[in-house]
Amino acid sequence: MKLGPKAAAAALILSTSLALTACGGGGAAGSNNPGAPKTTTLTLGTVQEIRSWDPAQAHVGHILQPYQAAYDSLILREPDGKLSPMLATDWKYNDTNTKLTVDLRTDVTFSDGAKFDAEAAKANLDHFKTANGPQMAQLTAVSDVAVVDADTIELNLTQPDPSLEYYLSQAAGLMGSPKALGTEGIKTEPVGSGPYVMDKAATVKDSQSVFTARKDYWNKDIQKFEKVTFKTLTDLTARTNALVSGQVDATLLDPKTGKQAEGAKMKLASNQVDWQGLLLLDRDGTKNAALGNVKVRQAINYAFDRKTIVDQVLLGQGTPTSQPFGKESGAWTEELENYYSYDPAKAKALLKEAGYETGVTLDVPAVPGFETQLAVIKQQLNDIGITLNVGAAITNTYTSDISAQKFTSILFSLFQGEPWVATNQIISTKALYNPFKNTTPELQAKIDAVEKGGKDAGKLAQEVNKYVVEQAWFAPLYRVNQMYYHNSKIAVEPQIQQAVPSLYNYSPAS
Amino acid sequence: MITFILKRLGSGIVVLFVVSILVFSLLYVSSGSIARNILGDQATPEQLAVKNAELGLDQPILARYFSWLTGALRGDLGASWFTSEPVASSLATRIPVTMTMVFVAMTLIAIIATLIGVAAAVKRGWVDRVVQIGAIIGDSIPGFVIGIILVTILAIQMGFFPATSTIAPGVGADAWALSLALPVIALLINGVTGGAQQIRSAVIKQLERDYVRTLRSRGIGEREVLFKHVLRSAAPAGLTVLSLQLIGMLGGVVIIEQIFALPGMGPLAVAATSQSDQPVVMGVVMYTVVVVIVVNLIVDLLNGWLNPKVRVS
Repeated sequence: MKLGPKAAAAALILSTSLALTACGGGGAAGSNNPGAPKTTTLTLGTVQEIRSWDPAQAHVGHILQPYQAAYDSLILREPDGKLSPMLATDWKYNDTNTKLTVDLRTDVTFSDGAKFDAEAAKANLDHFKTANGPQMAQLTAVSDVAVVDADTIELNLTQPDPSLEYYLSQAAGLMGSPKALGTEGIKTEPVGSGPYVMDKAATVKDSQSVFTARKDYWNKDIQKFEKVTFKTLTDLTARTNALVSGQVDATLLDPKTGKQAEGAKMKLASNQVDWQGLLLLDRDGTKNAALGNVKVRQAINYAFDRKTIVDQVLLGQGTPTSQPFGKESGAWTEELENYYSYDPAKAKALLKEAGYETGVTLDVPAVPGFETQLAVIKQQLNDIGITLNVGAAITNTYTSDISAQKFTSILFSLFQGEPWVATNQIISTKALYNPFKNTTPELQAKIDAVEKGGKDAGKLAQEVNKYVVEQAWFAPLYRVNQMYYHNSKIAVEPQIQQAVPSLYNYSPAS
Repeated sequence: MITFILKRLGSGIVVLFVVSILVFSLLYVSSGSIARNILGDQATPEQLAVKNAELGLDQPILARYFSWLTGALRGDLGASWFTSEPVASSLATRIPVTMTMVFVAMTLIAIIATLIGVAAAVKRGWVDRVVQIGAIIGDSIPGFVIGIILVTILAIQMGFFPATSTIAPGVGADAWALSLALPVIALLINGVTGGAQQIRSAVIKQLERDYVRTLRSRGIGEREVLFKHVLRSAAPAGLTVLSLQLIGMLGGVVIIEQIFALPGMGPLAVAATSQSDQPVVMGVVMYTVVVVIVVNLIVDLLNGWLNPKVRVS
């Protein structure tokens, strides 16, 4: 019969499908019984895949955490931002803040057996400066690194950088084995002195990175688990499902999915890291004359009912603010928090004084993910006679379009870091988000003071903050609550200025 | 037959070539900020220039295209701009996941859609009405919504399946089956309802043909009429709709893989596209075009095998 082979194929397919369906059932959702022994494993849902395990390719914020499993950093940043010894036991600047002398531990080895010493530290810093990583700018101020003796190095600076110690607790401070730096191998398998080593066999690209506790690790205090797994979950729905079904112990959600997590009795470790609002870039009125007038910029600030916007856009998970600097930065002040309270009448009066009672037009590019915000502020600006034109933006050329002065104002979300970091991100003439290079001698003097301020940089940055708020360089709307959720098997301490806590902040729940 | 296959493969290569030019040009337009996106907000112009030179972004588009093309012809698809991972190895680890899922889903669609479609066409009456209503409902719910509903009920509430993939090296077939079960169901419902509709109408059309009446008048049994003659004539319509579904599924699977966190082509394609990671996007597009060409060729050959009338010379 001619149907023979087809019938056979059909039978084969059918039996395969039956075998598949027969496998259903028996999956174990995570549950935690009270009185159960302390967990020895930690599984974290991460929002992004690690690009390369080369420490010079490490990033900030959520993307720093996985590197902390494999690598120690020179300086440890505590949850409250205090800098403590780690591989560096002590460090101090010279009088002009242009040379940083760093003392190093002598009892540390890397997972490949290489010894950590001054030469190794220099090799790492030199590598970081040339490896073209996403944070290579962290060491821009460092001109060279000198080995003083086996456990001392000196970082020579071309100009003071008040953020340098902070950077040495971040990507720039991660120390990899000098034997592995620059090799192909370290891209897929980290070689550091950190509390955990990668289980290469269990690690799958784009899915999970698995680490096990390193034997004889020098700092048992921060090695709290036997196994740590980073599960890559780029999709918010997937993260929510993985958390509430017990597949991961902790992950980053948003206000809406957070409600679902709370329904499943997950705990919130909330934190404020970013601010969102308008950056009124063309403050000299080069392309949009109205923006050159401080009264117009102030009017824009008075137009926003920030409380309502927070309730509508973030379901209340944020704090209205008028200042671009973060609460823990040292530059934040109470008096600037509600500097521009909602006052449409005052806004209209200011526009009239500025000679723009007939109206102002403001162009902003549309950025994916900001549709709701744009709709709300468009309406509120309209109420005081300002027309908001929402144009198109191509995400991949967004930053180069900004530096090419293509936009006179933008609505965006920005990281609130250390004051010097924030200044160089949005205020100084070197800042990407100051494309028109706006400045005044008065502002420049305040910025210079911060640069040379050393330990007082935060306090001195309050003056910079005050200036840009009064001059309405921006129209900040609110700081966003980061919705980091975890289950009751573990305890989590939030880390300032990070949406995702440092790895050291997790411990088994008692 | 051989010349037919060679001709089709030849036109396939032309299609590959044209698509590669189109996609490359589109990516060129959006590659302005690549160095900045890799190096971050605070990178200096000098650092950006070094990165641009390293990636060859300082070259004109034609030079860049030919360097990609000569590499691709040698089998070297380059490496990701963002991760430095060779594109070929990225594809090699992800294609098995995606293709397993697509293959299982398509096989099940073919079997279930045929059974339902034939049943509706032969029985008519209430069976047909149930199938018709089911088809409208199944067609109107997008696969990813089905996926989310399945996860909520079967994974989170009942705990039968993992909510997101547990596929890793060394895990057994059971982990693969459990991880793929829900995504496959989410993928196949639209296919089954759509396929059943097409097969139903094709079978009905054949059943009304004169040759069926003739066969029946000669006393040939209903079963033989249906399986030996009607189904064979109705098969080309079914195969065509299945092949279209498979090609459509290559798009749908991207979203399903994101929801279930499967390490397949989906996350790779989404990440690469949103970053304009040109070598990876080119690799993904080339792979997709090859799959489409091969599927179309196989469907044409199968059609010829099933139905000599459409057999090509």
